[in-house]
Amino acid sequence: MDSEKIKSALADVTAEQDPTLKSAKLASLCSALWLERGVELVVVGGSAIEILTEGAYASGDLDMCHATKASLSVAERKEIMGLLDAKGGPRNWQVAGMYLDLLGPVESFARTPYRRVEAPYGSILVMKPEDLLVERVLMTFYLGESQMALDCAKKFISVILTGGMAVNWSEVRRLANLPEYRNLPQCEKLVKEVADELKIKSPLHSN
Amino acid sequence: MNSKSKVPCIPIEGSISWEDWLKGRRFRREMGNRVAPENIRRKTSSSDRRLKKLFNGERGLPFTPTEKL
Repeated sequence: MDSEKIKSALADVTAEQDPTLKSAKLASLCSALWLERGVELVVVGGSAIEILTEGAYASGDLDMCHATKASLSVAERKEIMGLLDAKGGPRNWQVAGMYLDLLGPVESFARTPYRRVEAPYGSILVMKPEDLLVERVLMTFYLGESQMALDCAKKFISVILTGGMAVNWSEVRRLANLPEYRNLPQCEKLVKEVADELKIKSPLHSN
Repeated sequence: MNSKSKVPCIPIEGSISWEDWLKGRRFRREMGNRVAPENIRRKTSSSDRRLKKLFNGERGLPFTPTEKL
């Protein structure tokens, strides 16, 4: 990406006042610049949930991981983020009026692909909803019931059940049975609860 | 495409175009709002100090109202 295009993209992201668009555009710009140096980035956590659900959940920081073990050296990161007038580093930056946190290699158990949005400056890879769903249900009940995590999980499930995003339910079931989660009954219960509210049949019922 | 609503679905394989992703924003927000409150941004986190400094005492930019998506 040449310097004029970077400058124009940066001005666009900086001026953007919709938090989800701002986050998606920054992810797109950073992903493109890192990919030029051979590293794929993935949007994770609350930022990923926001891109997938519009759930009014995320705060003003964008969390990204690299999709492979390889990352960039501190010098390369400094060079790229310098192109974006970013402050800080080498893992957290203030850039274009928000924060970017680069958290390290991504952790995913699902065998489905990362979701891909063809954003203005290049593709954004987004964490797999199968992982996000099972993890969010875990977060809901891990330390007693968390209302915020419960609301987030319910919105996530509702968007899936109404056709806003596709998931592989067999993968959800497999993940929820892994030792890392062991929360299939809780996943089934919550998906059924949301399905009942929407008056549709749960696709994750017990056999 | 979601057969019930004709709103673009974020697919498992392949990708969704920017235009389709934008088109689906309101639908996704509305479907979430059917089962939980509209704004569920956390009130606090370990990043509060830096966020509140950057966003004038808030934890991020205000969300665009559903009707404007």
